[in-house]
Amino acid sequence: MDAEAILTGLATGDGWERRCDGSWAEVDDLDPRAMTRLLSKAEARWVTLTVIPAGEGFRLIYHWDLDGELLNIATTITGSCVPTIADLLPAAEWVEREMHDYYALEFLGRDETPALMLRPDDEPGLFSRTQDLGRDVDPAEYDERAAAECAGTAGAVTTPERGPS
Amino acid sequence: MSPVIPVGPYHPALEEPYKISLDCEGETIRDADIEVGFNFRAIEWLAERKNYVQALTLVERVCGICSNVHTLTLSRAVETIAGLEVPERARYIRVIVAEAERLHSHLLWAGVACELIGFQTLFMTCFALREQVMDVLEAISGNRVNYAMNRPGGVNRDIVDPAGVLAAARSIRTATERQLIPVLTTDRTVHARCAGVGLLTREDALALGAVGPTARASGLGQDIRRSAPYEIYDRLDFEVPVLTDGDVLARVTVRALEIVESCRIIEQAVEGMPEGPWSSRDFPRVPAGEACARIEGPRGEVFYYVASDGSDVPKRVRIRTPTFQNMPTVRPMVRGMTLADAPLIQASIDPCYSCTDR
Repeated sequence: MDAEAILTGLATGDGWERRCDGSWAEVDDLDPRAMTRLLSKAEARWVTLTVIPAGEGFRLIYHWDLDGELLNIATTITGSCVPTIADLLPAAEWVEREMHDYYALEFLGRDETPALMLRPDDEPGLFSRTQDLGRDVDPAEYDERAAAECAGTAGAVTTPERGPS
Repeated sequence: MSPVIPVGPYHPALEEPYKISLDCEGETIRDADIEVGFNFRAIEWLAERKNYVQALTLVERVCGICSNVHTLTLSRAVETIAGLEVPERARYIRVIVAEAERLHSHLLWAGVACELIGFQTLFMTCFALREQVMDVLEAISGNRVNYAMNRPGGVNRDIVDPAGVLAAARSIRTATERQLIPVLTTDRTVHARCAGVGLLTREDALALGAVGPTARASGLGQDIRRSAPYEIYDRLDFEVPVLTDGDVLARVTVRALEIVESCRIIEQAVEGMPEGPWSSRDFPRVPAGEACARIEGPRGEVFYYVASDGSDVPKRVRIRTPTFQNMPTVRPMVRGMTLADAPLIQASIDPCYSCTDR
């Protein structure tokens, strides 16, 4: 099964966009489980899942390797729920737990999603909760502001505009 | 009674923190549970708050052994977004340093494995060979770790003594072929500790997404240098060793053979390295866009996804390291093995927990 047959199987009208860093496809209403069955049957190797916050939802990019060709299958979801593929593909077990840690993504169908990078009592969604932190200030200045906040003197360091690198 | 024996997360025998809980029936391991994250530093989060120059320095700290591969992968992703051409000499330098890094990583691992096997003299042989590589890397970059060689558009330093690099590569290749490989593949002690131990089938390797030497020792022939060549690898003559036994001995042998291939690659790259510039003059302005980059690191495929919104700070940096995929393979490997084999089995994937935790 080649990349074209994969897209046909995913029932998307658009073809692959061939780039120097692999083949890309944007698929509306992607069924991750159907995708996983299809690619597993083709003996594609799982690479990873990239999650990008996008408004009220997320853009998900499933990365696979098919005979050396990097396939990047992207979809956008509203909300924070997506079907699990870990029961179909053990290779995805850790990355689902990792993305739960970072973005509190719920992978529907899992019995449980234990923390991977965080500790068991930590609240999931670390990156989502802190997404605005540190973005509008110079990182070095941010360290000082964070230290000031820890010391109970928040506001002692003013927030500078980001300058050119 | 079925005792669960916890090892880690902090243990004198572990170089880095992680925890493996071994569910045993007598001396036999029935199952294992692996916990990571004890060295979690949120490097992806941090990289999205630093400009590209700072992010390069940051990702070099993902791993203390394969640090070079992280700056190379990030640089290549940025080059793809920015449409940057890399000078020809820089491509050769990148390959030479990357293969030197693979040499020192594989020799370090071989030494550690020999110590775990109980073969102290071979451990010393491996580390003596590795010291030659460390000298080369120090001569090129000024550092024994964190070489700071790569930047988008080229490299930060030239190789001013290619003859010295060539001599070291030839010396290591000769010693590996004459000493290391014969002992590792024929010695009774090595065979007794490694053959038939820690089996990973091809099916399990694929299902768990194993990469690098771990996958290649289980019959999966993928090597990014061959399957999706970058820099100058498509012009070089080298073999990708693949074995099908799937045991510790196969993983030992694959890495030993890869040492020879890395030396051959370095020799070809040094001899073919053209004159010319080795870096673009200015750090590039990165336009809006996204790109993936993959490099075959010492432990396997390193994957980066980078998204830019056109500012000097990356919008998203995703890093997937080889051990992140390889670590879960330890579970099927230890099932049915004896407790005494567990340290060697987990070491046989050449794990890096700093990489895994990022």
